[in-house]
Amino acid sequence: MRFFLAALEFIADPANWAGPTGIGARLLEHLLYSGLALVLAALIAIPLGLYVGHTGRGRELAVGVSGALRAMPSLGLLTFLAVSMGFGLRLSIIPSTIVLAILAIPPLLANTYAGVEAIDETVVDGARSTGFSEGQIVGQVELPLAAPMIVGGLRSATLQVIATATVSAYLGLGGFGRYILDGLPIRNYALMLAGSLLVMALALVADGLLALLQRAVTTRGVRAATGQSLGPDRGRPREQRATSASTTGAQP
Amino acid sequence: MIRFDHVHKQFPDGTTAVDDFSLVVPSHEVAVLLGSSGCGKTTLMRMVNRMVDPTSGSVWIDDDNVADLDPVPLRRRIGYVMQNAGLLPHRTIADNIATVPLLEGVDKKTARQKADELLQLVGMSTSTADRYPSQLSGGQRQRVGVARALAADPNILLMDEPFGAVDPLVRRDLQSWLLEIQAHLAKTILFVTHDVDEAFLLGDQVLVLREGAEIAQQGTPDEILDHPADDFVRTFVGIDLPSRRRRR
Repeated sequence: MRFFLAALEFIADPANWAGPTGIGARLLEHLLYSGLALVLAALIAIPLGLYVGHTGRGRELAVGVSGALRAMPSLGLLTFLAVSMGFGLRLSIIPSTIVLAILAIPPLLANTYAGVEAIDETVVDGARSTGFSEGQIVGQVELPLAAPMIVGGLRSATLQVIATATVSAYLGLGGFGRYILDGLPIRNYALMLAGSLLVMALALVADGLLALLQRAVTTRGVRAATGQSLGPDRGRPREQRATSASTTGAQP
Repeated sequence: MIRFDHVHKQFPDGTTAVDDFSLVVPSHEVAVLLGSSGCGKTTLMRMVNRMVDPTSGSVWIDDDNVADLDPVPLRRRIGYVMQNAGLLPHRTIADNIATVPLLEGVDKKTARQKADELLQLVGMSTSTADRYPSQLSGGQRQRVGVARALAADPNILLMDEPFGAVDPLVRRDLQSWLLEIQAHLAKTILFVTHDVDEAFLLGDQVLVLREGAEIAQQGTPDEILDHPADDFVRTFVGIDLPSRRRRR
């Protein structure tokens, strides 16, 4: 409890927010490392997941590789990359980004191909037979319909990356990991706890924002189709909705 | 005109779906492929817009061998209506109807106008334009499916059990409605069904198919009812059913 109060006191003190080693700067660093890794992971995992989902090819491989990547020990890999890459210790943001991206790829990849695979086959078949090219099917049908799932993958990736980005501090980088790492040798447990609390708060805020994004990419039609309608039809059985819709049109 | 010239289709797993099938569907006529599921009728139909390519033989639209045509533009100039409408759940009814015009790059306003026109043509209120497919009834969705197929003003309509998933009463309505609009539109229609009544109601010519898309009998509804070729046809179309006798 003592440490907890001290940690809160540390965070609440405006003096600790300013300057190049203040909480503000550490926050930006933490966001930068996490953001870079997530962008890199998304650039790899989303196109790959769309490819796997669209063609059905390479599914086994994707499942296997994601599983293997999930089991990767972050800290070990980070040390290995930093030491083995000639520039790894000077440009430590590179091994750090790679390690965090590897962490983010499995949930993004899995959710992307699962999202595409979950689309009703008749929808894709209908699109193809009306004259969508394969590229248009991916871009205009599969991507928008899988988007809520993809953002779901991004949410779990983001949580993991923000939590794990603390390890960047081992390579002399900044971020909230600094507080945890710097507090340890001098037994400043309140400082370590402050660092942890900041990471948790950031993770929760990011997750909340992504939850909003997830809502935004769930198009109205899809919400209606999955019974998440917010309009006057909310909560009514589908048959009744159909009837209320048909009052405006000709009876079929 | 659609012409099948000795087409044959074998799937990679070795099953023969279509074995030496030939047929001419004259322009402005409705030809119905009638058969039980798995007889290859849908496979045949999908050869016209190259959703399936025959293993051998050829399919012609007027003077074009479809094998020489790029499938994407080909599909855009052929209307396709499928059993569950196959509408895009994330797009409004208007955008679904204007799918092909939108793919061809017309502006939103023209597309919307086209959609409104077609909604009226298929007997629906334009107030449904901003709704989504899941908010319509099954019968309405099928009408929208037909409207979408007509959006590019195609000469040919392919209809794959378009009324198979709606209840019998609505199906009757849709069938007579299709006859009505066909009287004005005069499209060349290839229609696939396993429903005998539907086939005889809609078809200028009906093809009763056995397994492997072998033609058991081909003719006008009256010819088939008056002179069934063999016992298979007799049983399949239910010649001795009271409802058939009344029709005759």
